[in-house]
Amino acid sequence: MTDLDIAGIGIWSPFFPDWPAFCDGINSGNWHENAPLQPGLIPSRERRRAPQSVKMAVEVLDQACNMASMDPAGIATVFSSAMGDMQITDYLCKILVEPPRLVSPTRFHNSVHNATTGYWSITRHTHAPTSAISAMGYSASMAMLEAAVQVAEEDTPVLMVSQEMAAPEVLRIICPSDYPISLALLLTRPGLFPHPLASFQFGVQRKSIDWPGLHPDLEEPFNGNFGSRLLPLVTAIASVSSAQTNAPNRFEFPLSKSACLNISLKIRENIEVHHE
Amino acid sequence: MRLAITGYTATSALGCGVEFIQSSIAGNHSGLRRNDFSGCDLETWIGRVNAVEATNLPSHLEHLDSRNNRLTWLGLQQDGFLNRVYATIDRIGVDRIGVVMATSTSSIGRTEEAYAHLDDSGLLPAKYCQPKVHNLHSPGIFVAEVTGLTGPSLTISTACSSSAKVFATAARWINHGFVDAVLVGGIDSLCLSILYGFNSLELLSTSPCRPFDTLRDGISIGEAAGFALLVRKDLAPEAEFDLLGYGESSDAYHMSHPHPEGKGAVLAMEQSLKRADLPASSIEYINLHGTASKANDLVESYALSQLFSTQTLASSTKGWTGHTLGAAGILETVITLEAMKHGLLPGTLNCEQPDAEFKFPILTENTHKPINIAMMNSFGFGGNNASLILGRSND
Repeated sequence: MTDLDIAGIGIWSPFFPDWPAFCDGINSGNWHENAPLQPGLIPSRERRRAPQSVKMAVEVLDQACNMASMDPAGIATVFSSAMGDMQITDYLCKILVEPPRLVSPTRFHNSVHNATTGYWSITRHTHAPTSAISAMGYSASMAMLEAAVQVAEEDTPVLMVSQEMAAPEVLRIICPSDYPISLALLLTRPGLFPHPLASFQFGVQRKSIDWPGLHPDLEEPFNGNFGSRLLPLVTAIASVSSAQTNAPNRFEFPLSKSACLNISLKIRENIEVHHE
Repeated sequence: MRLAITGYTATSALGCGVEFIQSSIAGNHSGLRRNDFSGCDLETWIGRVNAVEATNLPSHLEHLDSRNNRLTWLGLQQDGFLNRVYATIDRIGVDRIGVVMATSTSSIGRTEEAYAHLDDSGLLPAKYCQPKVHNLHSPGIFVAEVTGLTGPSLTISTACSSSAKVFATAARWINHGFVDAVLVGGIDSLCLSILYGFNSLELLSTSPCRPFDTLRDGISIGEAAGFALLVRKDLAPEAEFDLLGYGESSDAYHMSHPHPEGKGAVLAMEQSLKRADLPASSIEYINLHGTASKANDLVESYALSQLFSTQTLASSTKGWTGHTLGAAGILETVITLEAMKHGLLPGTLNCEQPDAEFKFPILTENTHKPINIAMMNSFGFGGNNASLILGRSND
């Protein structure tokens, strides 16, 4: 098992636009209904043109980075999504059905899976490595593993993102995602940041398991959404009651049909400062 | 951080398996042809793999049918590679071998086809309801199913640097210790999104691409599938070649134009040297990204001039294969390993008059020279860069 810290969290969905809103929802049942997506990092004139996948990722990356007040220049990123930007896929596949097949050049270069981290590195001027991955139904847990291993092996902080958009009608049967969600975790080696939200140990185990259940309020909107799979982890951090118990929370997230990611989470006592 | 490369293979427009790489380079035979891709009337040249059209998946894999998976299947059959994988499974265990694939567009060709056959209510008909195909991890899912590997598996998709980055991820996984070996690979196949997309950016040449030539005017799109087996060094004393280092960086400049001073490219190359603990002077050959776009080749030559002496031999092999995007890193790694194996360094096919603006000389003609250490560069959209260093195991 390897020790790491969670130094920052960013989160967005129509039901919780940021971490304080998520904590409020978990502890008080107050959820937003139609929270806007207005990442401050993207100038308003560009916001309309930026694809939704980029807006979501940039918003949560920025939130997580700001929470730790850390300079993004030295932080690597691992972006994950099972399907990538499904709105652009839907657009490309529709426009290519018949001539003249005039593809928008902007939408085409935004169609690369790493447009999210590319946009982040450009706006935050960071030359740190960025990656973009998919592991279909296991995208969230594989991104967590990929990021955690990178922190441990390269001694670099890593921002990981688990994200999935709402599926357009045609692709709904492939990816039953009703609402968009994006989650970013800033992972560091122990002690790098003086006030981490939580610490954890992780390891890979040969074991066949099911996904841990979501908070009851989040089940209906996010059950079919591959980007929501790590919510139980941040729900524990958000929950005031679990912060008070001080006992480690053990999580098992499937990595494949026969392997899982073990996480033993220890929530820091100073958690209340993040609930303001 | 040395890791053993115990097997490798590549299938591209040059043919199925590594023997065609060697013969095509030695004979200066390009795999590029006038665009004849079904459903596409663009005036350009492509690197199509002839055998894909005649390849059918076995019945137990038919539910995974797509051009990309057919190309993957074809690629896995070459050079005894699958047998090498099975032998490694017997020795190491099915759950101690990771799968790290790479692709830019995955099976989107199949998704395009599906959209052209929607039913009356505008939904996917049963034949195209393939959840394991219409997603970015389709290459990883397919390779795991073919090989029976059950360990952690993911697919990297960072445009044209994807299948160079698989080596970095594999190295971290093995060093961390939860796997002892990783099957890495990259697959990208021709599809309408890519051809019409690059056309919209005015990046396609109407003639066979001419990397580093004064008259270069764009890229030729190719398709390829390549694979390598990376194994913990102490478990593979017999391996001929090793991965010595890798570097990854971001340009932080523009989504589709490289940094004008090649900042990200320099950083990636510097880091790969640092991880390999080697001076730049130890690199004897560099397989360049060299796409034949105006900007890439100019910037890459400038980046080289900041690190290497002009004695270092460097060439682009995209005149033979076209730009195979997410498969370029693995294809060009295999080309580099074959160059080391046979002592024949590829020149730069179709580069007749190197651009006078270049700050670094380009190797234009094939050159016989035994070498021990080489570098391979891949740079992609989003300013995503990766560089690898490969060497002989006994060096």
